[in-house]
Amino acid sequence: MIEAAGVCKSFGDVHALNGVDIEVARGKVLGLLGHNGAGKTTLVNILSTVSPPTAGTVRVAGYDVTTQGAAVRARIGVTGQFASVDEYLSGYGNLVLIARLLGAGRRQAAARATELLELFRLTEAAKQPSRTYSGGMRRRLDLAASLVGRPDVLFLDEPTTGLDPTTRIALWETVEGLVADGTTVLLTTQYLDEADRLADWITVLSKGRVIASGTSGRLKAELGSRAVHAALTPDSDLSAATGALAAAGFQPRPDPERHALSTPVDTSADIAAVVRALDTVGAELVELTVKEPSLDDVYLALTQSPTALAGAA
Amino acid sequence: MALQERTRDTAPIAVPDTTAEWRGGSIRAQLWVLTGRQIRSMYGDTRLALFSLLQPLIMLLLLSEIFGSMANRDDFPHGVRYIDYLVPALLVTTGIGSAQGAGVGLVKDMDNGIVARFRVLPTRLPLVLVARSLADLLRVFTELLVLLACGTVFFGFRPSGGVLGTAAALLLTVFVIWSLIWCFIALAAWLRSVEVMSSIAVLVMFPLMFASSAFVPLKGLPEWLQVVAKVNPVTYAVDGSRRLALGWDLGLGVVGALGTSAVLLALAGFVAAKCFQRAPNA
Repeated sequence: MIEAAGVCKSFGDVHALNGVDIEVARGKVLGLLGHNGAGKTTLVNILSTVSPPTAGTVRVAGYDVTTQGAAVRARIGVTGQFASVDEYLSGYGNLVLIARLLGAGRRQAAARATELLELFRLTEAAKQPSRTYSGGMRRRLDLAASLVGRPDVLFLDEPTTGLDPTTRIALWETVEGLVADGTTVLLTTQYLDEADRLADWITVLSKGRVIASGTSGRLKAELGSRAVHAALTPDSDLSAATGALAAAGFQPRPDPERHALSTPVDTSADIAAVVRALDTVGAELVELTVKEPSLDDVYLALTQSPTALAGAA
Repeated sequence: MALQERTRDTAPIAVPDTTAEWRGGSIRAQLWVLTGRQIRSMYGDTRLALFSLLQPLIMLLLLSEIFGSMANRDDFPHGVRYIDYLVPALLVTTGIGSAQGAGVGLVKDMDNGIVARFRVLPTRLPLVLVARSLADLLRVFTELLVLLACGTVFFGFRPSGGVLGTAAALLLTVFVIWSLIWCFIALAAWLRSVEVMSSIAVLVMFPLMFASSAFVPLKGLPEWLQVVAKVNPVTYAVDGSRRLALGWDLGLGVVGALGTSAVLLALAGFVAAKCFQRAPNA
């Protein structure tokens, strides 16, 4: 449903995107990760026909964004970081306006608006001007607004930035429901747990290039690290413990302030080896934890040295 | 890339056309809906609507008092009362004052999230501007009607052109003002800043209004101002409106006003549509 090849975008001398390729199949969710300025919003703007690409070809829902913009716009929904609704109109008024612009008749528009307000728990505030809505309500209205035309492709540009945890989870559940109904989603986010939960496939963007892509599990396996963290009793010798682990072939990082150390491990056997090595120098453990690889590790590993790991894609 | 392999397995899938009837409304339907929205938001603030109606009344009162003695001067057209001379011109200058509100209004509208939404809907973007201009025109038209009514009731406005002449003057003014509304819309689409818009509006408005035959006959102006007034489109508009209301022979005033406005309208419309198409930061 989304096919982009060699997409470049330059603003004068600034190259916001440098040859980005992405493909998303129908009913799938692509998570686009990246820092501020990585080019996520620029890419969403191009895919949603708001700004033309400097180079490259982009097809969304089967239509070319540059030459068939109106056909693309009739099949997409966009929810950005800022609520794109009329602050002076009510929630109901906004949804009716959008439905009418899409070509719905008066009655159809009213029915669709009512249906969406119900779905997003906005019925009570339906007749109030949207400027009086709370942040969460606005975001829900914005998402409802992007769903009026039952889009084939939904772009969610940092949809949960600034939302409270309950609202975030509710929004995730809504998105999962849409995907189950066959909607294709492109999600940009800075929150790795969000990408982890929603995305079938993750693409990491840095300085306008794709530096890695894969399933969440594969990225974690390839780039994330499992680590053992051991906190010692005050009378245990931290430097002796560190030495013992080094001698056993680990790369321990001592943390004198907390009287603790941590070391990357691969297998369960490694975890046992860590405990045995600590035992040989008589280190008493207060706490031993194993941290499973997270997308955060992947993200940090990639964005700290993007060129070194470019092959990981 | 692995992703490409994967998608090739599943594509192509025929997309069921669930909302075949909702792929973008007709031009007429979209214009209707957009104009309705614009009018509703304009009268959403009743205080604003009230004050914008009061403004022409204050101008009427002040100007008829300040320049009233003009009618006694030799270079003033004989047999014409100052109020009958003033009101047709006041139609134009009041309209100009309101036209600049269209520019500020558009900039504020562009900050409103809904315009960002319009960009990702199958909305024809120039229609957003046409809707804006029509709603502003309705506002100006209402103000001018109030001005005419008050002029007639409280100030004894009885132009020799009668009701027909006055109606023609009103229509001419409305057309001229529409072209000016488009100029301010074009400026707004290009500049996109309320502050810059407001200062330009003042910069443009006052010389346009006062370096013209709006309040005093051209001959009453200093020579250098006469030159400015002669190239000022407001002079033509005022002259046309006045000739119609007073039932004078039309001369070049009406044609000149219609011609300059039509050219201005075409140019400003083109520039506005072009500038507005460009998304912010794109």
